[in-house]
Amino acid sequence: MDTLQFLADGFGVAFQWHNILFALIGVIIGTAVGVLPGIGPMSGVALLIPVTATITSGMPTGAAAASSIILLAGVYYGAMYGGSTTSILLNTPGESSSVVTTLDGYQMAQQGRAGAALAISAIGSFVAGIISLIGLVLLAEPLSNVAIKFGPAEYFSLMLLGLAAVSGLAGKSMTKAIMMTVFGLMLGTIGIDAVSGIARFTYDQPILFSGLEFLTIAVGLFALGEVVKTVLEKDEETGSIAKINRILPTKQDMKDSTVPIVRGSLLGFFIGVLPGAGATLASFFSYTTEKKLSKNPEKFGKGHIAGVAGPESANNAASGGAMIPLLTLGIPGSGTTAILMGALIMYNIQPGPLLFDEHPEVAWGLIASMFIGNLMLLVLNMPLVRVFAKIIQTPKKYLLPMIIAISFFGVYAVQYTTFDLYLLLGCGVLGYLLSKNDYPVAPLVLALVLGPMIENNMRRALTISNGDFSIFVTKPLSLLFILAAAAWLLVPLLLKLKGRKIIINEED
Amino acid sequence: MWKKITTVAFAATLALGLAACSSSDSDGASSDGSDYPKNNITIVAPSGAGGGWDLTARSVAKIMNETKLVEKAITVENKAGGGGAVYMAEFATKEVKNDYVLMVKSPPILINNNKAEGNSPYGYKDTTPLAQLTRDYGAIVVKNDSAFKSLEDVLDAIKKDPTTVTLAGGSAPGSMDHLVGVLPAFEAGIDPKSVKYVSYDGGGEAIAALLGNNADVIATDASTIATYVKSGDVRVLAVSSAERLEGELSEVPTFKESGIDAEFTIWRGIFGPKEMSDDAKEYWNEKIGAMVETDEWKTELEKNGWASEYRNGEEFTTYLEEQDKVIVELLTALGMQK
Repeated sequence: MDTLQFLADGFGVAFQWHNILFALIGVIIGTAVGVLPGIGPMSGVALLIPVTATITSGMPTGAAAASSIILLAGVYYGAMYGGSTTSILLNTPGESSSVVTTLDGYQMAQQGRAGAALAISAIGSFVAGIISLIGLVLLAEPLSNVAIKFGPAEYFSLMLLGLAAVSGLAGKSMTKAIMMTVFGLMLGTIGIDAVSGIARFTYDQPILFSGLEFLTIAVGLFALGEVVKTVLEKDEETGSIAKINRILPTKQDMKDSTVPIVRGSLLGFFIGVLPGAGATLASFFSYTTEKKLSKNPEKFGKGHIAGVAGPESANNAASGGAMIPLLTLGIPGSGTTAILMGALIMYNIQPGPLLFDEHPEVAWGLIASMFIGNLMLLVLNMPLVRVFAKIIQTPKKYLLPMIIAISFFGVYAVQYTTFDLYLLLGCGVLGYLLSKNDYPVAPLVLALVLGPMIENNMRRALTISNGDFSIFVTKPLSLLFILAAAAWLLVPLLLKLKGRKIIINEED
Repeated sequence: MWKKITTVAFAATLALGLAACSSSDSDGASSDGSDYPKNNITIVAPSGAGGGWDLTARSVAKIMNETKLVEKAITVENKAGGGGAVYMAEFATKEVKNDYVLMVKSPPILINNNKAEGNSPYGYKDTTPLAQLTRDYGAIVVKNDSAFKSLEDVLDAIKKDPTTVTLAGGSAPGSMDHLVGVLPAFEAGIDPKSVKYVSYDGGGEAIAALLGNNADVIATDASTIATYVKSGDVRVLAVSSAERLEGELSEVPTFKESGIDAEFTIWRGIFGPKEMSDDAKEYWNEKIGAMVETDEWKTELEKNGWASEYRNGEEFTTYLEEQDKVIVELLTALGMQK
């Protein structure tokens, strides 16, 4: 079968020694990023793009893109493994997709079962990673064949859905999230319009002709924003870390976890495929599902292992599922995948229906490397979990300067302009002010990336339909996406009106 | 607000300063005698890595150094932005006398400058054309199962009702693919403004739109479409060359054979700054003339599917003058001229 042949070729790429090294570096950094509260996968990946661009600069474009996306994706799913560590040991989630893990994970640690909790989350993540990769292998090719049928109208509506989903779920206030989305869309209009060639909001500054570089904005808002926050707010020192005793889970633990892991994996994968929904949502869904289906739901919240196994599997599976719209449609479904897509575009590789035909080495190399990476992560997170737990104690006085240095060097290495350094600084301060006032930043970055794409596809669709707006609702798929987009915005609103707590989707 | 402006101004000065530092070679602008080049040379591809400009710049740099035609190291820099317009502005203003910076460009240098909504106040007259290196042609392409069997079929359909035929291309309206696409319509007496043109980001997306039935016809480069012809996904109805092409597209009629009196060449050439010294001009004329004769260059052409078309500086300048007129005429017909 063709797919197997492609996959074999992909392994050929992934097994090149430098790519194994890239995957290893990626997953180690990813785990560290996941462990460190403050740096999420989004800022981790954004920070590393310039670094990988520099490392791979001597290689041919295709190979360089493959290597660097292997590393960056490693950071992404590596963070899903690492995120659980602090949730369990410290009751502080390393990133938002591990928030629910604190509920039962920390309880387990209190009862002296920290090792089992950590182990089961690593095993669950691994199983989920493999399941979602199998899904990716099976679905990627057929989906890209479907994707090629997507016209501008479908693209427009699907991206609208992505934006609606992120805005509907992000942060505490939907109004604020939508404000940030609109702000991102507005920033996206700066520069020379690709369709008409008209310069918009450039004030005759040549530096603005190509628009604002999203990498600068993302690094500024996320990484520097976090630095500014830590410096200004002086987070209280981290609490005591629970001790890790026995690492291997007991037979009973394994028995209790098997079903939640499988269920979480499948759930997470399909949620990940949806644009806009991400790892955080997947972990919340998995937790509530497990609790609902469990014979003794009263055990949840008191250190029940299923409450760790399910969500931790789900968030990792979601990161695999999220690769599907990215690779086959060229649509990023979340902040992190938007950044991964930006990285590919930097190498002149356009993710989309033709990616699997034109750059099989990138697409399949990445998929194959994720198998290897997940295996590495299992090894890293089981015996070495004690080492990673130490990372939590990295003093801020070493961590912050490192982040600042990487941010500045990185952005300058890619952009070569001092303008971007000022922009970076500005975004750092802005990022702090925004998150301090509960304005979520992820919708801004996603809107900045999607905005021009939405606009161009809308204009293409209208050209095709000779200016008739009904094209968006007469095409069945397009209509479906628009309805779903409306639902993403309306359902949380209705839930909120009924007084239900809404999921917080800070960064995934 | 003022603070912001001064900050921006400060940033700009800094950028200028840095640019000046990195190209401090320009101090030796009027290099005396025949000791040019004294310093290393930079070829700028005014786009990101991987595009046609970038590949051309890298091939030239590689061959010049490998064959020892040029002893000084040649590096390639990518200065992306605004379809080449961002670097064009820098090249025409900051590097005017810098003999050590060359640039690779193609028809957009004329188009961007002549288009009403064009983004570049600078054109080929703000440079010293050194040589044309390669050429490519436009191709009018349909999907394999399309009802259109010839260019005439397409034009007839557009004549009958322009709203029924969607033409797509990988570049903005008024730029290369659009011009290639509407050129036959224009020559056939159809109002080019009535032709429905959908612009995609790059030829790849345009091909995807064609394959997904979201475009009826696309205009793109003849060299890039060959792989899709080979796989049987698409058919090429006509090419914009004067004579039939070789290789995969040898069966494809030209515009002329299809009854359309038009040609369009997508050339790629190398430019020096406007006030380049005579020594440098002479040097590059000689070196590029020698380079295009090397086997290494021929291998590179074949590898990238480029057709060789060499014009020296003088011929190239004359050619650009003619091309400029053609483009102005076409843009005028589209109502998009400056």
